[in-house]
Amino acid sequence: MTKIIVNGREVEADPQKPLIAACHNHGEHVPHYCYHPGLSAVGSCRICQVEVKQGEMPARVVAACRTPVAEGMVVNTDSEGAHGSRRECLEFLLKNHPLDCPICDKAGECSLQDYSFQEAQAEGRSSEPRRKLEKRKDLGDVILLDQERCILCSRCVRFMEEVPKSPQLCIGGRGSHSVVETWQDTPLSGNYQGNLADVCPVGALTLKDFRFQARVWNLTRVPSTCSECSRGCSISVEVLRNGEVKRMRPRPNEDVNSYWMCDHGRFSEDELNRSDRMEPAALRDDAGQLTAADPVDALRVVRNLLSVQSQALFLASPYLTVEEGEALSKLARSCGTQAAFFSPEPNDLRDDVLHTGDPCPNQRGLQEAGLTPMGSEEWAAASSSADCVLLLGERLLDMLGDEALEALPPTQRLVVMECRASDHAAVDVAMGIPNRVERSGTWVNVDGTAGAIRAARSAPQGVRALVELLADLTTTSGQPEEALSS
Amino acid sequence: MVIVKRKTLTLAERLYLPEILRGMSITFAKMFKPKVTRQYPEEPLPTNEVTRGQPRLRQLIDGNLACVSCGLCEAACPAYAITIDGQETDRFIEREPEKFEIDMLRCILCGFCEEACPKDAIFMSTELELAGFTRASLKYDIDKLKRTMPELAPRMDYIKRINERW
Repeated sequence: MTKIIVNGREVEADPQKPLIAACHNHGEHVPHYCYHPGLSAVGSCRICQVEVKQGEMPARVVAACRTPVAEGMVVNTDSEGAHGSRRECLEFLLKNHPLDCPICDKAGECSLQDYSFQEAQAEGRSSEPRRKLEKRKDLGDVILLDQERCILCSRCVRFMEEVPKSPQLCIGGRGSHSVVETWQDTPLSGNYQGNLADVCPVGALTLKDFRFQARVWNLTRVPSTCSECSRGCSISVEVLRNGEVKRMRPRPNEDVNSYWMCDHGRFSEDELNRSDRMEPAALRDDAGQLTAADPVDALRVVRNLLSVQSQALFLASPYLTVEEGEALSKLARSCGTQAAFFSPEPNDLRDDVLHTGDPCPNQRGLQEAGLTPMGSEEWAAASSSADCVLLLGERLLDMLGDEALEALPPTQRLVVMECRASDHAAVDVAMGIPNRVERSGTWVNVDGTAGAIRAARSAPQGVRALVELLADLTTTSGQPEEALSS
Repeated sequence: MVIVKRKTLTLAERLYLPEILRGMSITFAKMFKPKVTRQYPEEPLPTNEVTRGQPRLRQLIDGNLACVSCGLCEAACPAYAITIDGQETDRFIEREPEKFEIDMLRCILCGFCEEACPKDAIFMSTELELAGFTRASLKYDIDKLKRTMPELAPRMDYIKRINERW
C-alpha cells in the first residue's frame, strides 16, 4: 500500500489502481465519464482532473484516472485549477449535447447532468448549431443508440472488449464526425448487452425495454439478488409507484458479479409483473370447481391430508429461500419424510463471464437446509407412488409443465402453493404465496456466497408468506382441530 | 381561575341611545357608498392573466399536447396531485404522455408545475370552479385538461414576460 495525501488527509492507496480509485475509496468524489472501476482507463474525457503536487515540483492538474499513485503524492480534488479544467472540458462536451433531458431516460441518474449542475455555467457560449446525428439508431434487440447524446467516452466499446470479450462496438469516423457504431450496422449480440445502458454515463445507449417506461426518480430501488441462475448476482430491483417492477440493474459486488449482470436475469421482470396471481386460498368444492376459501380452512384441509395420507411427497421450487427450505424440512420431518426440491436441467446459457447455466438460484442453500435435489425423471417416479403431493414455491408449475400434473394418478391429492394462478383439474388445494420481489430471505449461490433477497413491494391482499404457512402446518400437525381455528 | 374584569361604562354608554345613533350613522353612511360584495355565482369573479386557476395542458396547433411527459411537474407538485405515464411517439419529440392525470381535489393551485415545465406545456388557467358528484370525476385526464393555445394565450404571454425579467 502506498501512502498519499488526499485533500489534507493521509490515506492508503492501492498502487495497482489509478489515483481516481484511491480518491473514490476514501470518500472524495472525483467526477468521471470514461473511467469505470470495472474497465480499463483511457483518459479520454478529461473530466477527472485533480491537482497533484509531487516532491519539489509545482502543483499541476492531471487526469486522475491515468495517474498512478506514488508515495507522498499530495492531491487536491477541490482546487481552483482542477475545477477550472473540468469546467472547460464540460463546455466542450456540452457543445454538441442536445437539450434532451425532458425526454431522456437517463435524466435523473445522468452524470453529465450532475456535473453540469455542479461545475458548468448555466448557458452555453457557442452560437454554432449543434451537430445533427441519428437519434434512434437500432443496435439490436436490447439497445437503442442516440448518437447526438453520445460524449464518446468509449466505455461501451471497452465493455464489449473486456467483459464479454466480444468486441462489437467501435468509434468510427474522425473529429466531430466520430460516432459509436457496429461493423456495417450489424445488430449487437450476446447475453451482456444490457450492461451497455448501465455503463453509458449519458443517455446515448438506452434499453429498449425501459424506453420511456418511467422517470428514474419515481423508482424505488431495493437491493436484492438475481434469480435466473446459480451465480446469484447482486441486483437492485426498481419498482414504480404501483408496485410494478420496471427494471433490474446490477449492484457492484466484487465477490460475485463485479459490476455486471446478464440480459437473461435483467429482463426477467415480465414474470414478476403478471397479473394472474393465485388466490390466497382455494379449495375444490363438491361441483369440482376450485373456489376461493378461507386460508384457515385451506390449511386445515392440508393438515388433515398430511395426517391421513401415509405417503406424502413434498416438492419445493428451486426458488425457495434457505429460511423456507428449513421450514419445509421441519414440516417434512414431522410427517416422517424428507422434502425435495426440483432441480431443473442446466440450460445452454452458461458462459465464462457470469451465467452458470444452472437455473436454480439456491441449489446449495436448499441442500444445506436438508432438501434433496430431484430431477424430472425422479419426480415422475416419486409422484406416481405418493398418496399426496405438495408442490411449494414459485414457478414450479411452469417448470414441471401441465403434462406432469396430468400424469398424476387420479386418486392422488394435490396441494399447490404457487404465485401464478392454476385451474388445473388435478389441483385440490391451491394457496397463493408471495413471489421473489415480495418476500425476504437468503439464497446461497454456486460459490457458497449468501445473497439476500428483499421485498420490493407488498404481496397481494390476503397472501401469506410460505414460511408462515409451513410453520402453521408444522405446529398444528398432530394437534386437535380447535388449535387451528383459534 | 380566570378573573374577567368588566369595563365600567361611562354615563353616555349607559344612556344607550347615543351609542345606537353612532352605530346607525355608520350603517346609513355605507348605504350611499359603492358596494364591495359580489353576487358570486350570478356575477363571476373578474379574472386576468395573473389569476392562478387550475392547471391545464397546452395543445399545439396540430392538436397534440406540447407535453413530453418528462415528469418535472409531477416531481415539483407539493400535493402529489399529478400522475404521468409516458409512451413513445413517432413525432419529433419522441415521447408523449400516455396518461396525464391531475387530481383536482389534491391540487392546491400553487403553480409549481407551470414553473417547472421545460416545454411550456402546462399553464395555470383562469378556471377556478370545481364541482363533481364523485371524487373519481375530479381526477382530470388529458381530455379534460387539454386547452387550445388561444385559450391559454394571455397566461402564456404573462409567464414569458415575467420570465424575461430574470
